[in-house]
Amino acid sequence: MPAILVPTEKWAGKVREVTLGGDSRKKVVVGGETTLPFLHFDGVIPHAPAIAIDVEDVAPQNWSPVLGAVWGDVMREGLAAWARKAVEAGADMVALTLRSADPDMGNTGPAEAVEAVKKVLAAVDVPLIVYGPGIAAKDNEVLVAVSDAFAGKRLALGLCEDKNYRTIVATCMANGHIVIANSPIDINLAKQLNILITDMDMPGDRILMDPTTGALGYGLEYTYSVMERLRVAALLGDSMTAMPMILNPGREGWRFKEAKTRDGVPTQWGDLEGRGIAWETTTAIAQLQAGADILVMRHPKAVGLVKRAIASLMATNY
Amino acid sequence: MNSSSRCTVTLLPDKRQRMVPEGTLLQDAVRQAGIDADIPCGGQGRCGRCLVRIEKGQVWRRPNAHLTSQQIALGWALSCQTEVRGDVTALLFPEKVRERFVVSGTASLKVPRRVRPPRDPVISQYLLELPPPSLKDNLADLERLRRALASASGVKNLEIDLSVARGIHQTLVEGSWKATAVVEHALSGGSSRLVALRPGDAVGTSLGLAIDIGTTTVKVVLVNLRSGRIIDTASAFNRQMSCGEDVISRIVYSQRGDGVRHLQRLVRETINGLIAEVCALHELEPEHIDHVVVAGNTIMIHLFLSMNSRPIREEPYAPMATSFPAVSAPEVGLRVNPRASVYCVPAVAAYVGGDITAGILGSRLHQREGLALFMDVGTNGEIVLGNSDWMAACACSAGPAFEGAGVECGMRATNGAIEDVTINYHTLEPKVRVIGGGAPQGICGSGMLAALAEMFVTGIVDKVGRVNTAIQRGQESGRRRIVDTSHGPAYVLAWASESDTGQDILLTEVDINNLIRTKGAIYAGVGVMLRGLGIDARDIDAVLIGGAFGQHLNVEKSIIVGLLPDLPWDKFHFLGNTAALGAYQVLISRRMRRKVEEIAHRVTYLELVADNSFMNEFISNLFLPHTDIDEFPSVKEVLAQASLNNTQAVAVGERGGR
Repeated sequence: MPAILVPTEKWAGKVREVTLGGDSRKKVVVGGETTLPFLHFDGVIPHAPAIAIDVEDVAPQNWSPVLGAVWGDVMREGLAAWARKAVEAGADMVALTLRSADPDMGNTGPAEAVEAVKKVLAAVDVPLIVYGPGIAAKDNEVLVAVSDAFAGKRLALGLCEDKNYRTIVATCMANGHIVIANSPIDINLAKQLNILITDMDMPGDRILMDPTTGALGYGLEYTYSVMERLRVAALLGDSMTAMPMILNPGREGWRFKEAKTRDGVPTQWGDLEGRGIAWETTTAIAQLQAGADILVMRHPKAVGLVKRAIASLMATNY
Repeated sequence: MNSSSRCTVTLLPDKRQRMVPEGTLLQDAVRQAGIDADIPCGGQGRCGRCLVRIEKGQVWRRPNAHLTSQQIALGWALSCQTEVRGDVTALLFPEKVRERFVVSGTASLKVPRRVRPPRDPVISQYLLELPPPSLKDNLADLERLRRALASASGVKNLEIDLSVARGIHQTLVEGSWKATAVVEHALSGGSSRLVALRPGDAVGTSLGLAIDIGTTTVKVVLVNLRSGRIIDTASAFNRQMSCGEDVISRIVYSQRGDGVRHLQRLVRETINGLIAEVCALHELEPEHIDHVVVAGNTIMIHLFLSMNSRPIREEPYAPMATSFPAVSAPEVGLRVNPRASVYCVPAVAAYVGGDITAGILGSRLHQREGLALFMDVGTNGEIVLGNSDWMAACACSAGPAFEGAGVECGMRATNGAIEDVTINYHTLEPKVRVIGGGAPQGICGSGMLAALAEMFVTGIVDKVGRVNTAIQRGQESGRRRIVDTSHGPAYVLAWASESDTGQDILLTEVDINNLIRTKGAIYAGVGVMLRGLGIDARDIDAVLIGGAFGQHLNVEKSIIVGLLPDLPWDKFHFLGNTAALGAYQVLISRRMRRKVEEIAHRVTYLELVADNSFMNEFISNLFLPHTDIDEFPSVKEVLAQASLNNTQAVAVGERGGR
């Protein structure tokens, strides 16, 4: 019987490989794809997408009650316990947000930031992503301190935007960390920021790009198409879009009323817990299909579902 | 290379000689020979002021975008980018020649030097000598005039307004039965019209006016209709600027109660002011302006004619008219001969107006064999691509920055405007060239563009136009140039003590973003047009640049910032204000008028709004020079060269122990 030849696409480009962690700690490598997501017959996908779980240095106030139910005990117990439980829940990495540096959340300084990172690093041995509070001036202040204090640990630091990239890139370069370049859902803006960062002589294998997540119902299709275009451009050989992508379906998926509101919603919406988990999972899986290399998530059940999806999508024996 | 071998460098015209090791930069030999070289860019191969001609001997030129292959064939070289490879004789050009090289690619309103009287004028002037009436010949004055004119010119069927008829007798008597008849010829069929009867021999006093109504700038061209000669031109900001900077905000303004009338009054006042100014300067009578041709974008013409422009703003963007009825001067309030007719050059579409139709005529795009790109850079950027077989046009809103508006220290390109800037990489000190040569008052579009290009290449701004306040170069002097303002960090081009205004002349980060958006919109139009028609930029034979801004534009710097496509320099032609040029041609020739109407019909309009690729293209252009650097290979080289020069310069500095 004549064999059926599956047509394959040969791409000129390749996504860069980025290694997080390492040294005396566990390391995670992401990127390296030579084809579109999970098309194993076309090219190589050397590393499965990784999952990070969000932890914060103060107990968050506006998280969904569904998340409060699973993380409440460790939120009270402290950062180390929270990080340990995240790893138990399946996290390949921990994503720490230095929320207490936010002027409205305590306005803590560099010393507290360094202390928080130290706690997490001591509690778990997976790679660590560190986010500032999201206010440019405070981000610069705390991230520079963290970068200096943990030189060589290959932390991923963010967010780095076109407004403040110079400070964060300079400190990541000096201390051997990885920078997370965030741009607002646009292929050109994402590429431009990568060029600006590269122009500072930052090696391309120390940049992750965050093209911004729009959750299901809140711009997911927009994110999806921008991610897909970025990835196609990278595979066509554009080195300035060839950075692995990091997305935040946890933060975005749990932000909206669909994942927060228990009462006063149509009965067809079902129970809040299932709904919230589904919201995060759907957002995350769509992003996997669009090329996400790291997903920063929140609910252990969503993490479980997404890990199962990754395992089956990575299986090449179909 | 054997560095021990020594070469003799002879410098003409003074025949100064200097022995240097092989591989020495020619510029260093010049300096060692005791010749002072003023090099504003600091030896980066960008300012072009170290231009020499190699008369004899071997040199090696570093790759450089500044010289064309023809110039290299002529022996030209930039001494800061040229290494000595043997005994060399080089001619140092005098300052004037170098200056001309530096400003190459500038032009003003280009009209042929020797203008021949038009063969098919719109307006003719006839000297009539009438036999005075007597009892034997008591034909009425008017009939007497018709008879004389018919025999002098062959013009029958003459239309005569009541207002002329009323004055006939007095005019004839005043001129002792000698009078000059000014006749406007019918374009096709129809009857001719007497627009003026002037006592005595007034042949040659008839004036014409071509007007370019721009969104930001209004320009008038005063013409002697007999000789076709341009007497003078004058321009001013359009007074409508007070009602919004771009066409859309003008339309919005016109929707308010008395808006249309108010806007008409403002543009009329602008034009009348210019007419009064230019006529007074030459001691001429505005009354003698017997014919007016107006070119302007569709919205400007609608407002000039008090037509409702609202439909232009709303989908499907259909204007009320693209060809406009002939009007008489009083109907639109122009203070010229009240019987003069005012002809508005027809438009192509809502956003490609009569200024572009006139511009095509003026640039002769419609006669070209090869593919040409015509760009009119003003508040709106209009782009026409085509040749004698076909033409397509599109338009994008660029904003008034290049015309000097909406920028902190912006001004029009007139005396006192900084029109060129070079920044020394090492000291970060600027050198500016001011139109007219005096103290600077502000900075015009080309100066802004030059400043932006220089700030970019020297690293003062990054690729998104953000000022690098932490720049680690320039020591005391240069870093002083970066100051804080309420509009963010800024670069000072001229200190208050050097300027004519007593204030620092600077470019702020807000200005820079403004400029980047402006250039981004224009180049996006080019990009969408080329891609839409499936044309590779390299297939373009000529780039014709119009618009008032085009007069002083520097090709290299425009390419560096990504305003113009990266093509060999000899493909660029600067035509100055092509709208005014085309309007002028239409003013003096009936054939040109028919031609311009034909052009308006022939151009295909591409609606960018209907195409979502424009926004994508625009965002990718909000970067210096472009998000895809491969579209600008020569800029890529310049940047690589700049960083190479820098490392070399640093190494030299270190060796020098400084």
